[in-house]
Parts: sequence; C-alpha cells; structure tokens
Amino acid sequence: MRIFFDPEVLAAAWPGIRSGIGVTLGLALTSIAAGVALGLLLATVRALIRGAPLRPVGGLIAAYADVFRAMPPLVLLVVLYFAAPFAGIELSGFMAAFVALGLVLGASAEEIFWAGITSVNRGQWEAALSTGLSRGEAFRRVVLPQAVRLTIPPLTNRAIATGKNTALASVVAVPEVLNQAASVQAQTASPAPLLLAAGVYVALFLPLVRIGRWLETRFHIR
Amino acid sequence: MSAVLELRGVGKTFAGVPALRDIHLAVGTSELVALIGPSGSGKSTLLRCCNRLAEPDAGDVVFEGEPVPAGGAELASVRRRMGMVFQAFNLYPHLNALENAALAPRRAAGLSHGEAETAAREALERVGLGDRTSAMPDGLSGGQQQRVAIARALALRPRILLLDEPTSALDPELVGSVLRVIRSLKEDGVAMLIATHEIAFAREAADRIAFLADGEILECGPPAEILDRPRTERLQSFLSRL
Amino acid sequence: MSEFFQTFLNPGVMAESSGLLLRGLWVTVQACLIVIPGGLFFGAGLALAQTLAPAWGARSLSWGVDLIRAFPPLVLLVLIVHGLPFLRIEPPPLLGVGIALTINTSTYYGEILRAGILSIEPTQWEAARSTGLGTAATLRHVILPQGVRNVLPDLAGNTLEAVKLTSLASVVALPDLLRMARVAQGVHFNPSPLILAAVLYLALLWPLVRLIRRMGGRAVLPA
Repeated sequence: MRIFFDPEVLAAAWPGIRSGIGVTLGLALTSIAAGVALGLLLATVRALIRGAPLRPVGGLIAAYADVFRAMPPLVLLVVLYFAAPFAGIELSGFMAAFVALGLVLGASAEEIFWAGITSVNRGQWEAALSTGLSRGEAFRRVVLPQAVRLTIPPLTNRAIATGKNTALASVVAVPEVLNQAASVQAQTASPAPLLLAAGVYVALFLPLVRIGRWLETRFHIR
Repeated sequence: MSAVLELRGVGKTFAGVPALRDIHLAVGTSELVALIGPSGSGKSTLLRCCNRLAEPDAGDVVFEGEPVPAGGAELASVRRRMGMVFQAFNLYPHLNALENAALAPRRAAGLSHGEAETAAREALERVGLGDRTSAMPDGLSGGQQQRVAIARALALRPRILLLDEPTSALDPELVGSVLRVIRSLKEDGVAMLIATHEIAFAREAADRIAFLADGEILECGPPAEILDRPRTERLQSFLSRL
Repeated sequence: MSEFFQTFLNPGVMAESSGLLLRGLWVTVQACLIVIPGGLFFGAGLALAQTLAPAWGARSLSWGVDLIRAFPPLVLLVLIVHGLPFLRIEPPPLLGVGIALTINTSTYYGEILRAGILSIEPTQWEAARSTGLGTAATLRHVILPQGVRNVLPDLAGNTLEAVKLTSLASVVALPDLLRMARVAQGVHFNPSPLILAAVLYLALLWPLVRLIRRMGGRAVLPA
C-alpha cells in the first residue's frame, strides 16, 4: 500500500502538478469561453438569417454541429497537432488543444443555444415584431434572454466536460496536471503521482459536477 | 370619414389552401370594427396581414394613405403605429409589467429611458394597472396580463389597435375587465379592428361588424343589420348556434 | 491542390496503411462491444439500486456517481491501466480499457435510466400493484418498458459518447483505430492515415448523430 502514497514521491511530484493546475485551468477557461462564444455566435446567425440566398448558411452551421458531435475530441486533437504541420500549420500543443476543445464545445453550445431559441414560443417573436422592434432587437431583448435560461444547465454540463477534456492535452505534451503526473510517474516507477493528480481532479471537478446536478433539478427542463 | 387602415383585395394561401380571399375592409378614425366568424375562418390571418406578420399573397394593405412597406425600418415604423393584442397575451415572461410596456418605446421608437418609462406607466394607468408596474407576468391574472398586453401596444400611441380574440383565453369572470378597457379606449377615440366571439360586446360596442367565413367577408354592416337581419345562410346558422 | 491531395489524401499511403487501420478498427469495435453492453448492464443496476434504495442509500450512490464523474475519463483510464499492475493485477490491455471506460460510461447510462424510471407516473405503480404484481414484476413488465422508451434518444446519445470514448484507448497503447493511424503516420511520414481514421470515425458516427436527431434527442448530456 505504501507505494501508492510514498511521501517522497508525492513531494517530488507536487511542484510539477501544482504548476499543471494553472495550465489545466488556463486551458479550460480559454476553451470554454471560446466555445460558448462560438456557439452563441453561430446560433445567433442561424436565428437571424432570412431569405433564400442565405438559407444554406443555416445548413452549414447545422452540419458543423453534427460533424463535431460525431468526432471524438482526441481524434480532432491528434489531427490538429500531428497532421496540420504537413499543411504548414504549426500549432503548439496548447493551441491545438484550445482549438480542438473550443470547436467541440462550440458545436454543442450551438446546438444547445439553438434548441433554446427554437423552444421560445413563436408568439414572443410576433409580439416583439408587432411593436416595431427590429429582428435583431427582438432576438436580443426578448428571445435570447428566455432561451438562455433554458440553456444554463446543459451548457454548464458541457463546460464541465470541456474542463475534464483538458486532460487530453497531455497527449500533445501540454504540461497540465495529467502530463506532469505521468512524467514523474515515468521517472519514479510509482503510481503515487497519478493518485495525486486524480485527487486534484476530484477537488477541481467534484464541486462542479454537484453544481451541474443541482442546476438540472432546479431548472428541470425536459 | 378617412380610413386609418384599408385592405384592398387582400388574399392569402397556406400551402395551396386559400385562407383569405379578396378581402376589402376599411377602418375609419375612431371606428371600432368587429370581425366575427367561426374558428378557422381566417380572422387571425386577416389581422396578421395588416401588419405583415403574415405576408399577403394578393392585394394591398393601406395604412394612413400609404401602402404598408414590405420590410425594414419602414415596416417597423408602421408596426409601431399599429398596436397588436394577441389571444395568448404573449407577454415577455422575463420582464415585469412596466418593462414589457417600455421595451418598444425605448428600443423601437428610440425614446430615452425616462420617456419610455413614462409612456409605459401612463399606458398601464390607462388600463387600470398603475399599481402593478413591477409585477411579473406569471404573478398576474389572465385578465391583468391581457391588460398589460394592451398597455404594451398603447405605450407606442398607436393610430389603430388590432385585437386578436383578446378575451378567448380568459376565464369567464375575467372577460369583463378586459372588455371594459376596450370600451374606454373606444370612448377615447382609438380606432380598433377586433376579432371576437363576444357577440353581445360586438353588438353594443362596434360601429360595424364583418362576418368572415372560409376566408371571405360574407356580410359587413352596422350591428343591428348584421345580427338581427342576417342575409346569408352561413351567418344565420352561425348566429343560431351561439 | 494536387499537392494537398498527395499530402493529406495520398492514395498509395492510404492503400498501404489500410490493413493496419482495419486491424485498429476491429480493436475499436471490440472495445465498444465491451463498453456499451457493460455500461448498460451496470448502469441499469445503478438505476435500480437508486430507485429501490432508501433515501440515504440513494444519496450516497449519487455522491459515488458524481465522484466517478469528477475524473476526466482519460485520468480514470490511465489510473486503472497503469495503477492496477502495482496491485499485481494485470488484466489484458483490452480488458483494462474496458473496465475503466465501463466504469465511466455506466454512471451516465445509470442516470439516464433512472430519469426514465422517474418519468413514469406513480399511478402506473399503483395500477400494477393493485393487480397483485410484486416490485420486481412491476419494474420489469410495467415501469422499465415505458421508462426505457421515454429515454431512448438519451441512451442513443450516451452510446455515441461511449464510442467516442474508446479513442482514449490509444493513449494507453491499445492498438485501436486512432493508435494504428498514428503508427501508420509514423511509418509513412504522411498524415493521410490520420485523415482516413478521422473519416472512418465520422462515417461510423455521423449516421448515429442523424438517428439521434431524428429521435428528437438533445445534445444535452450530463458532464
């Protein structure tokens, strides 16, 4: 049992893991911000486009959401990191992970926002337009605020999933928590660093998972 | 009497099925015109064609002497002066009564925040809800919600109100409060086009009644003429079933 | 343009690496054949336990589920595959991966099935009990058939997630589709195998995404 909690190994592993926490949080927050912004932008475009010449845009956005729902995030990350350089696109591990996680979350967020927007009663659009609000103002002041309420629980859950998926970045040598733990583990041939990393992840994400569960029951959409 | 709103030969089809056929109807200044007819006869579509929430396929809608523009800021400006009240109220559930009524004055008419609130407050007072300005829609009764919806339209000082069965979604005991507001607006000289099933109200308050069946206006005239001396068989059987 | 094709969709490289990729695809399929039925089985157990347990038991189960969910799946996988040998337990790699991913995905299947059970009106329980059916028979013949139908889109959605999850196996050296694509890329020093693997994943999963949409499923799966 001692080998799992070897104090010397834990002490040696801690500085690296501690710096890894910063990288994990930095990658998580930037990808979540980018993904949510991308999803909101795409859903807004999809809601506001009108008229025949622009209709294919809506289809393209829906196709993007489909493709990135079907694509495993790790496959996307590996393609971005290992294949893109052949096209002259050299991304750092961090950038590749940021782009991959942002694109995947963007697709889910678009779908969630779109579902929220379409679930707002058509009468709300009609009422707003009948008072002379432009489509943009009707969307911004009337439809979106109601849609956002419905999106909070699922969006929170997707954001948490994105935070957890930052562990994938260890595969492309980003020195986040898992990567730091794995490198010390390789040097010391001890499982203790991995357990320490696991403890860090639980400390980071267990409260968030509980909050996500609470939001689901609180808002109770189905 | 000059017409505020005039429909000239308006037609509309939904997926090949005609919903409105060759509608000619005018509403004069301070006039109240009631639309009656069975469910699905096209009353709601007719009202929506007036402010182009539904796009007419044929004919012209003329508002204050000008054709209603097809879109853009010009259409928005016409819609502001043509208030609409919906059967299901369609209040904004995330905004309180005052904010519901102040949104369009602020964001569509471009009034200042203070001016918009003043206009909204006055409109709410006019429908008897000056004391409920901070209530959320789900904290109001159906009758109160519909009065807030009327105030939302009035806050823009419209030239005409389009009311789509404003009392049909209400419990019977709440209908009276909404009809009282509509009557008082008529006394103030607000022009109105109202689709309704309240025949007694139409008889007493309307200047003219139009009977709509299968998307056509079959009869139109003063209440006594329409309700007491129906000429068409459709209207006779419609009235006999009330 | 042709240079682009030579680099990313090189027919020669793709042909030569197709054997490797097919072997990898077969490993991916095997992993799915462990993780999906396993996840459903243990998920159903979890859902039933949470339904039938007294309140304190259901509460502790929900904490346990959330504890597992707090782990990134990759961390759980690495912990189990690299940690078990220190306990002198050395399962074959495919089994190790299967255990780790089954633990992860069964918590999601469990929550979905529980929501399905909870979606059935209490009157259905009363009606079944009034005809003399016991708890087990009521669950099996009355509640579960209706409850499962109510959450079918979510079950399909989680199955999609489970298939995507198996790509993590490449990280612990299981020769799955993604791993073999990396190997082939190294051999030919050409990214075409990676692109081909990505296309294979899409070809496998896009129809499932469309199917889930057709069922009216939400993208909205728990974290």
